[in-house]
Amino acid sequence: MTAITEDHTRRAMAKRDQWARNRTILLLLLPGAGYLLFFFGLPLLRTVVGSFTSLDGAFTFDLWVELFNEPVYIDGLFFSLWLAIAPTVVALVISVLLAALLQATFPGRRIFGALYRIPLVVPGIVAAFLIMVMLDRGGMLSRIAEPLGIDLPRMVRDEWGIGAILASTWKNIPFMTLIIGGAMSAINRDVLHAARTLGAGRLTVLVRIQLPLALPGISAAVLLTFISSLGSYAIPNLLGPAYPLPLSVHMYEQGFRRGNWPIVYAMGTLLSVAAIFVLLAYYSLIGRLTGSHARRGSRS
Amino acid sequence: MSDTRRQKREGRWLAVGLYGYLALVMFVPLVVIALWAFYDPAVGWYPPDIVPTSYSVEPWREVLADRGIIGSLVLSLIISTTVTFLTGALAFPTAWALAHFPFRIKRAVEVFVLAPMIVPGIVVAVSLGEIFFRLGLTQTVLGVILVQTVGTLPLMIRILTATLEGIPGELMLAARTLGASPRRALMRIALPMAWPGFLAGGLLSFISSFEDFEKTFMVGAPGVQPLSVRLWSYLGGEILIFPTAAVVTFILLAPTLIIFFIAERLMKENVLAAGMGKL
Repeated sequence: MTAITEDHTRRAMAKRDQWARNRTILLLLLPGAGYLLFFFGLPLLRTVVGSFTSLDGAFTFDLWVELFNEPVYIDGLFFSLWLAIAPTVVALVISVLLAALLQATFPGRRIFGALYRIPLVVPGIVAAFLIMVMLDRGGMLSRIAEPLGIDLPRMVRDEWGIGAILASTWKNIPFMTLIIGGAMSAINRDVLHAARTLGAGRLTVLVRIQLPLALPGISAAVLLTFISSLGSYAIPNLLGPAYPLPLSVHMYEQGFRRGNWPIVYAMGTLLSVAAIFVLLAYYSLIGRLTGSHARRGSRS
Repeated sequence: MSDTRRQKREGRWLAVGLYGYLALVMFVPLVVIALWAFYDPAVGWYPPDIVPTSYSVEPWREVLADRGIIGSLVLSLIISTTVTFLTGALAFPTAWALAHFPFRIKRAVEVFVLAPMIVPGIVVAVSLGEIFFRLGLTQTVLGVILVQTVGTLPLMIRILTATLEGIPGELMLAARTLGASPRRALMRIALPMAWPGFLAGGLLSFISSFEDFEKTFMVGAPGVQPLSVRLWSYLGGEILIFPTAAVVTFILLAPTLIIFFIAERLMKENVLAAGMGKL
């Protein structure tokens, strides 16, 4: 009899403890997560809901129909993707090389390690300004090339967005190098030495060992660079052509200049979906990587 | 013996190559901007001149005579400081919960905290701009602080969580057992031990707030003009004003770079890589 009541009270106390714990956790989460819920979750929800709402508040697909039937926006979507993919690819190639080279020791390595990161904290506008003074007509490069008889192609406000791509690339290289370098330096040195001893060249070691083992870091860097370039506004606005405009610029123009908010919400939702799509691709890649490691591990 | 000598020689070539790269992509552009900041407007600097034929401090005098720039600098500093402290205060309890309590929805909260880094910033900036307009928060300093905090909070929570995970839970328990009140245990044990995280996250928050343009512009312009928005007005308008923009660039970069190098010295290697290498 007493045993049962004791058991009961213990269970009741455990329950009360559990409840108190949950309340504590909730209270602790409230400032940070609550803030994001209010100032990030709410606007995002509003964007998504707004993209399906007509002016009189009814559910509608009209905005999406409009978005996908307007060549200006279709071109804008492809240009946004282009301005996100191209810098990611270029920055990735350079960053992998830099990260691999930075694994070696050389005189002045510490100072280089600090200096190459400067673009990390340089605002996009300043990156755009650098490109302007260097590559625009009358910029430094054309002043050097002209006496040599070299006619440079247009690189600022050109139709391929070369200036914008170079600015995004410049800004993202240190970030990618930092993350990829971190992943590479976590690789066990003995593995690299073993491969070298067994006769693998440097390139083979890089391609067959360092890159696959650093893949989680590489894919994270690719993901974040892609997303930050996808939504960038200042760089394409300053360096990009008058047509096509990326969706980020359309969003500002349609929203704040014309007050055409519903279409802005549709574009915002589209950009977010593109970003989340890439995130899911990342998770499935990581899942497959760790999954195959686990399988291999259990087999041995 | 010859092996190490070969390594040394290779290291030297590597250094030459890497510093050459650095000079090409970093120093040359900065020097060109410096030339624009010190050119002589009376003489001008036209192609094909590689360097200006005459120098002056006229651009600086012009910019500094314009009271607005100093005001913008002060405003930038005030906003970034406030954002940094607000971010730290908001992030700490959440990071504490994420680090020390295993709970079922933990992964969901982690993903949600990460979400502002995934959703393109422009989406939230534009949408918040519209909501703040209805609330009368556009073109106010408060509105700018609120929107910038959305950008700084996720990284701060991640860095603090990583730091706090390194503090053994028994330590707090021991303090409590020895008679410390929860508040005292927090003040004397948890906060001091979380200090490296606060420092790293705080410096990164400050920089990211100081250099932010897009969120600030969507919510604050044209009423609130920190440095980045002011720089935009010299570059994004109908006429480009290179010399003024060059001077403002240096005023904007100087505090950022100083803080950045302080952060580099103080932070453990690769806080950012550790924080972002796995999402």
